[in-house]
Amino acid sequence: MATMTAAPQRRRLSHTVVQWGIVLGIVGAVVGFWVGALIGDRVVPADANSNNSNAALIVAYIGSAIGFLAGMGFFQYPIGRLLGRPRPTEADEAFLYGEDGGKRRYFRLNLDHKVIGVQYLVVILFFLFAGGLGAMFIRAELMATQPSFTSAESYLEIVGLHSVLMIFMASAAIIGPFGNYFVPIMIGSRGMAFPRLEALTFWLLPPAALILISSVLVGGFPTGWTGYAPLADEAVRGMDAYLVAFGLVGLSICLSGLNMIATVISQRAPGLRMTQLSVLVWGVFVTSFLGLLAAPVLLVVLVMEMLDRIGRATFFVPAAGGSPFLWENLFWFFGHPEVYIFIIPAFGLILEMLPVFARKPIWGYRVALGGMIGVGVLSFFVWQHHLFVSGIAPSLRPFYMFSTEAISIPTSIIFLVAIGTLWRCRARFTVPMLFVLGFMFNFLIGGFTGVFLSDVPTDFSLHASYFVQAHFHYTIMGAEVFALVGGITYYLPRITGHELNERVGKIQFWVMFIGFNGTFLSLLAVGILGMPRRVVSYDISLQGLNISASLFSFVLGASMLAFLVMLVYDTIVKPRLPRSANPWESLGNEWRLPHPIPVHNFTALPTDWRLPYDYDRDDTHPALRGAGAPFPGLAE
Amino acid sequence: MSANRRLAVTLGVIWVVASLVGLFIISVLPFPPAHASDTATSISNTLRLLTYLAWPIFSGVITGIVGSMLIGRRDPNARPASHDRIRGNPRLAGLWVGVIGFAVLLLAVFGTLTLTNEEAADALGLAGRGTSGTSVGSSPDNTDIEVQVIAQQWQFTYRYPAYGGMESAHLVLPADARVTFHITSLDVTHSFWFPAIGVKADAVPNNDNVFSTRVAVMGTYRIQCSELCGLWHGSMDDNSAQIVSGSDFSTWAKQQQAADAPVMQYLPPYSHTYVPLPAAYGT
Repeated sequence: MATMTAAPQRRRLSHTVVQWGIVLGIVGAVVGFWVGALIGDRVVPADANSNNSNAALIVAYIGSAIGFLAGMGFFQYPIGRLLGRPRPTEADEAFLYGEDGGKRRYFRLNLDHKVIGVQYLVVILFFLFAGGLGAMFIRAELMATQPSFTSAESYLEIVGLHSVLMIFMASAAIIGPFGNYFVPIMIGSRGMAFPRLEALTFWLLPPAALILISSVLVGGFPTGWTGYAPLADEAVRGMDAYLVAFGLVGLSICLSGLNMIATVISQRAPGLRMTQLSVLVWGVFVTSFLGLLAAPVLLVVLVMEMLDRIGRATFFVPAAGGSPFLWENLFWFFGHPEVYIFIIPAFGLILEMLPVFARKPIWGYRVALGGMIGVGVLSFFVWQHHLFVSGIAPSLRPFYMFSTEAISIPTSIIFLVAIGTLWRCRARFTVPMLFVLGFMFNFLIGGFTGVFLSDVPTDFSLHASYFVQAHFHYTIMGAEVFALVGGITYYLPRITGHELNERVGKIQFWVMFIGFNGTFLSLLAVGILGMPRRVVSYDISLQGLNISASLFSFVLGASMLAFLVMLVYDTIVKPRLPRSANPWESLGNEWRLPHPIPVHNFTALPTDWRLPYDYDRDDTHPALRGAGAPFPGLAE
Repeated sequence: MSANRRLAVTLGVIWVVASLVGLFIISVLPFPPAHASDTATSISNTLRLLTYLAWPIFSGVITGIVGSMLIGRRDPNARPASHDRIRGNPRLAGLWVGVIGFAVLLLAVFGTLTLTNEEAADALGLAGRGTSGTSVGSSPDNTDIEVQVIAQQWQFTYRYPAYGGMESAHLVLPADARVTFHITSLDVTHSFWFPAIGVKADAVPNNDNVFSTRVAVMGTYRIQCSELCGLWHGSMDDNSAQIVSGSDFSTWAKQQQAADAPVMQYLPPYSHTYVPLPAAYGT
């Protein structure tokens, strides 16, 4: 042990910084390209490697990702264990957990879940704003009925990039930053069950983003995020980037689910029951099962498509015995649980914030959990509603129509809980509260438009139109991103010890809310009137509504930019300190730790757990005036 | 009357008023698509019906959230009141699940009946039951005319098996006729969308997607592709699809057949699906 050695142990790890990841990533790409070119030239038939370099590109992308992870230091520990080398020293562990503090720990492999949460937040915001630029480009182009300042080709590339970047963003927008940061704290744990796995789920994202964006160098991909075959089989080389990048994110979703499930089950503090957990923890927990079970199907279908492109496997090529329906079924078997991977953690976050600002206990805690579990279970039984007009045998249509409509039952429970909690409450209309209410309104519209799409007859008219596009923007942008922005505002004092400007925040909310609804109400109308998705040219009769949508979308874009400026200004340029350590007077357990939260969270075993929503307790009333009562037995 | 009950009654009144006003507005709103076929009419009616059903629930939830928060809102810094201690109400939650579940069941039963009822299914164009099992040339019962829609990057072509499999670049249909579409593709997945008659069906290579409807109103309409199919997806449309009178249709068909006669020998024989040669991906 450390105490037995006289001299302090030397740290053996040193090269785990981003620079080495980049260097080895480039080496991996070069080696991968060479190996892939060899496979493309020697192993598969010459005419199968349709773009001559698919094999080289795919192996190069995978090689660069492996090289990057090696450079980040992910393989030192498992390989060391395999070879029977000594375990990492305490100094190594301290280094890996960033106990030296400082800014540099955010730029290297770090096993502290709080650092990983912040890393996630930054990358999620990058995805959001990079994807948002694409959205602005799309809306600007669609003000004209024919391609105006862009070509049909680059329009399609931007549509693809926007959609996949936003899918990456949405897959981890709540679970990445807030799940990683707060789940261990909320369950009274010193960390995650698998800290290295947790770090891996984050460090898979930067190579995925780089690979995806690099697709523009080789022509982009023309399929949008759904990647429908056989269009994907004949697509240019940018399609390979889509396949590998999406695969890395799929792996991240799956491993994150594994880690979260293990953490919530095995790492809870003694005496803390599952029915005493915060709703946010439950949202993350339920979602994790979806990620663990659905994402492997995505990986499988992406590998099948890679084989189609590299070696003429013809899984999806009808002329050679394959089937486009195979892609559609497998993809949506992942794709529909995926959209609930977006929204269930947002339910958790919203219901977590609601009691704080309603100043009332959450109404129907167990009912809310039942709602989230119900949505999660049903999400696996609805995927064929994406195939109502596809031409497959229609005998299962009634079943999928029913299962899809049935999802509105558990979803409606979230609204019942919200109404119950808000009933004659002592509401504080702070910025996070406004975002909670905005979430409720937008998600309600998202849900009702979903019912129109689930009904087979109306789906004949609405399928693949702008109505669908507006529907899922209501659920992702209107609900999940509203939850994200509200969550950032709410948790910033806890994470960084800063506070956002409340007056600017309120104006920002209203501009964002109006811009969002103006944009997507226009697009709902455009869809009903007959405009298909993903088109660069459309009928002249729809131009008025499209211009309306574009103008509102610029308002929305401006409000998002204002949020970013405010975030940077209040945290970095001119740090703005909150009124108190617990400015929202929240009873959440995460607010009971000192600031900054120590690396391993708890120095003593936390006790006295209770459901953190006791806003009705008279005896706690004076305590609510200041910070939440700190955990007994903890330093400070 | 307790404060809880008073608030409930107030919200109930607001909800009833909001519902009635909304239902009236819905009843006068025009619901697309245009009524150029019995399918389109049926879809419009279903859209309106769903909106009727959705509005009271939507306005109820909004009234519940906004009203319960604002009406009788208390000072944020007041001491907790007795009703704050209510942590839930299993009976109310059960009732809520029951009501929403009943609405969902109603929707699903109604939808399923529509899908399984022959007449309603006919109106919805489902008579062909998706993938066709019929042999080439034969028609489903009571079809007046069959049209094959062949999608390829980036245009639709139409074949009329009853007229020797002649081809046309524009769709022409006789009014007051029951039309059965056979939709297929030569390359990637497309989708044949004729909004005015409420037809949308994916065109998938090696697959014969069947959709039939009774077209009614004469006019010139727009057809477009609604499944992303590559570079010129947005331009894969036809602004001059026509529904004409029966006699005009016969005249047009004869002319078109004559015009096509010289090229017929180069066309593949009419079939439900085609494998283009040389195939893009080998054999």
